[in-house]
Amino acid sequence: MRPSDLDKDEILMLMGTPELDAGLSQMLDKCTQELCKAVQPRTIYRVLPVEHSEHGVSIGGLALEGKDIALHLTGCEKAVLMAATLSSAVDALIRRAQVTDMTKALMYDAAAGAAIERVCGDIEKEIKTKYVYPYYTARFSAGYGDFPITQQADLIRMLDASRKIGLTVTAAQTLLPLKSVTAVIGLSHEPVKDARRFGCGRSCDECPYKDDCKIRK
Amino acid sequence: MDLKTLLANEYVFLDGGMGTMLGLAPGELPERLNLTQPERVAAVHKAYAQAGSQIIYANTFGANPLKLAGTGVDAAESIKAAIKLAKQAVGEQALVALDIGPTGQLMPPAGQMTFEAAYDSFRVMCEAGKDAGADLIVIETMSDLLETKAALLAAKESTDLPVFVTMTFTENGRTFTGCPISAAAITLEGLGACAIGINCSLGPDEILPMMQELSKWTSLPLIAKPNAGLPDPVTSEYHLTADDFAAYMPQFAACGVQIFGGCCGTTPDFIRATRKALENTSRGERVLQKHRAICSGTKTVLLDMPRIIGERINPTGKKRMKQALLDHDFDYLRGEAISQTDAGADILDVNVGTPGIDEAAILPQAVQAIMEVTDLPLQLDSSSVEALEAALRIYPGKPIINSVNGKEESLKEVLPLVKHYGAAIVGLTLDENGIPQTAQERFEIGKRILERAQALGIPKGDVFLDCLTLTASTGESGPVETLKAVRAVREELGLQTVLGVSNISFGLPNRPLINRNFLCMAMQNGLTLPIMNPMAEGMTDTVRAFRMLAGFDPNCENFIEAYRDAGAAPAASQAQQSKGDLTLEGAVIHGLRQDAARLTEEALKDHAALDVVNEMLIPALDAVGEDYEKGKVFLPQLIQAATAAQSAFGVIKQSMASQGGADKGKIVIATVQGDVHDIGKNIVRLLLENYGYDVIDLGKDVPPQKIVDAAIENKVKLVGLSALMTTTVGAMEETIRLLNEQYPECKTVVGGAVLTADYAQQIGADCYAKDAKASVDYAKTVYGE
Repeated sequence: MRPSDLDKDEILMLMGTPELDAGLSQMLDKCTQELCKAVQPRTIYRVLPVEHSEHGVSIGGLALEGKDIALHLTGCEKAVLMAATLSSAVDALIRRAQVTDMTKALMYDAAAGAAIERVCGDIEKEIKTKYVYPYYTARFSAGYGDFPITQQADLIRMLDASRKIGLTVTAAQTLLPLKSVTAVIGLSHEPVKDARRFGCGRSCDECPYKDDCKIRK
Repeated sequence: MDLKTLLANEYVFLDGGMGTMLGLAPGELPERLNLTQPERVAAVHKAYAQAGSQIIYANTFGANPLKLAGTGVDAAESIKAAIKLAKQAVGEQALVALDIGPTGQLMPPAGQMTFEAAYDSFRVMCEAGKDAGADLIVIETMSDLLETKAALLAAKESTDLPVFVTMTFTENGRTFTGCPISAAAITLEGLGACAIGINCSLGPDEILPMMQELSKWTSLPLIAKPNAGLPDPVTSEYHLTADDFAAYMPQFAACGVQIFGGCCGTTPDFIRATRKALENTSRGERVLQKHRAICSGTKTVLLDMPRIIGERINPTGKKRMKQALLDHDFDYLRGEAISQTDAGADILDVNVGTPGIDEAAILPQAVQAIMEVTDLPLQLDSSSVEALEAALRIYPGKPIINSVNGKEESLKEVLPLVKHYGAAIVGLTLDENGIPQTAQERFEIGKRILERAQALGIPKGDVFLDCLTLTASTGESGPVETLKAVRAVREELGLQTVLGVSNISFGLPNRPLINRNFLCMAMQNGLTLPIMNPMAEGMTDTVRAFRMLAGFDPNCENFIEAYRDAGAAPAASQAQQSKGDLTLEGAVIHGLRQDAARLTEEALKDHAALDVVNEMLIPALDAVGEDYEKGKVFLPQLIQAATAAQSAFGVIKQSMASQGGADKGKIVIATVQGDVHDIGKNIVRLLLENYGYDVIDLGKDVPPQKIVDAAIENKVKLVGLSALMTTTVGAMEETIRLLNEQYPECKTVVGGAVLTADYAQQIGADCYAKDAKASVDYAKTVYGE
């Protein structure tokens, strides 16, 4: 990954600052560079059949809990279950910086946030090239809406992600390495109506996070 | 048939994939089938035995108590059933192995699972396997070297069965947790694996070069068990046919692989095809790496040239380090580890021996803290055998033990540890009669230590000798005798040599000059492992120059790399110093760390430490804090100022180490149980420390009662709790409940991404802090400022 792959504005947003002076900006560029060197993106996905029933939705035989994910996948024939991680080297980089220089830690952390976003974006592009459908939903992750984060372990197991990409989940449903994502993307022949509600399609009106969202301008 | 007989053959054949052969329905647990549908599992074993597999892996890969928790399947029962059904299925046709896969949890530093938890779970598996009559144990698909070590130790310590170990590597030649092939090889061989190799990972094409690498690093039999290529995301089918797969196998044999099988996506046909492909071939010669090596879980250091052992993590004669150890302030150790790593150390010595310290408890904690921030291999330095063993267990990799000596008691106690844990050992050339005067006598003791080590099966190359540096001022022949002994050990025994370099100058003026010269002389006489301060002026430079001049640095590459920017550096530091009008306040506000430290040193000449804190540092921090609240500066600037203030505090602490801190009061902070996101909590700590509070940071994933105990023990007025996940707010609520019950006068402040003011109130917190600055503000009200 190269620094130019990352959106600097997004990194600044994740750092909670609209701008940086020249010195800090230079420091951020250097941190972004080092972060990019440490990143070893690993991804895995499976394309699974979607089944709706009165109890909700399931993908590849795994029942997903909550109304929101069912709504999200309405009309979808298939769904991609994906997982991505920047790997433990990134966690190590951030951990070390927390001992020596917290400013750098903050910068690495923010750049890593932008990097995992980029990795997820790349998978989406790949999926859209390889599995051509007229419509795709946005990414939807455990923890959005009423899709409980407690299903994280099911998703990891379904993908055999700890074996395939070294992505594990703790008893408290934290993904480790920390800079990691799991998500579901619906593939549909019909227009997807609800897909942009969460996970940010930048349409804020219906989003349950609109009150304290950092991205919202 | 037994394993020894099998291994006398040119090749040994394992089985292939289990999961696909079982045809599992979604959510079906393979380990449950051992109990509910044994015939389904037995059919797979039979198919492999018929295809020519000589060792069958029982269906126990995931039968780990940690993995099966909550499934209703008992690990030991599943294992016993699995071994029994496998033995019945294959009869005399094949041996049956207990198969042990990873727990699926990460261990420190990447994760939270303790060594003991992992070890205990593997021990349950091994004991069940042994009881059921398994012929051997295989540990496979491992990523984390420490977890692998836990499994291997559990196997060796609870059974007499031979153990195969295979790990999973990615295309960059490392595991997911960053373990290189070399580190896996030398560690697992040291720990007594019977054969090692690579499984799963990728297809044979990608694994072949890794196998070539592995074959250099071990003399053990090699195992290859690749996947059938890569899986398709839609069908989950793998892309290689049995014949495609088998076509690679002669190349594996050429690099010395003896034991063959398949992993994901392979079937009995793959085993048949592999047998056929190898019919008229024989194994290639093994070409071993010439030099010995040591390693951490993520880095191998080859002992092919002088390597620096950093000596800074040792309380002897260091007040600040002593205090840090007494306070359990592992961040100070982490800081020293990082500085030495950056200064060019290759290995770090870790010694925590000081009065008032329970070494057996603290040494492993220190090792763990240091491994969080450096990849360098460690030298575990203690005179306590208990402390050494406690640290050896949780150390991922092959460490050095410092030390054994020629005394009978020491040899008897320490050498068995070296053997059991596969470490390298430093032998001090002294015995019951003390340190001999002459080089010859020291050489003789060294030789005796070597013989005793070899008699226990410790490889010669893992014995390093320290011929002991005596202070030059005590006698003019001292240094010469030491150098003679080093030369003799190096030339006649061919061993690595260790010396604590700076002892030479004790009690003399201009010590750095003496140390540098003695270091150079010693290396010229065969010193390979100087124990020294890599930050001391000219020391690392001397080693680098020596390596270059002695022919260890082709094209002077490393030397040039280290000094490429050396010309530019002094100009930059002059530029900083020329800012004559910079005040300490200004340095903090602008986040200038070096200047803040320098100006603090100056300020301490004329001002009391407390005045520097109250009249310079805190007003500067307040000014930045105000700007932050007004939105004039943002989080990065606030933290940068705090970091500069931190370096100022470092100077103040150093000067006050003997008098105790300038503390305004103690505060306990922690990230609650289950939660491992701790950057927010660490920012809060930084700011609190800036304001002169003595922060007792319990770290992350801290159980409620531990937080309460620490609050009571330290009589704090305030506890700060952080949680980032909805799933861990429960632990926060529980912590507050326990605090209110057991220590009601203590206040709580909470923060973290998922919290709101309402939520904080609901779970009983006294204060919700929206950011780090707000935590400080609340601390001020609690401590009455």
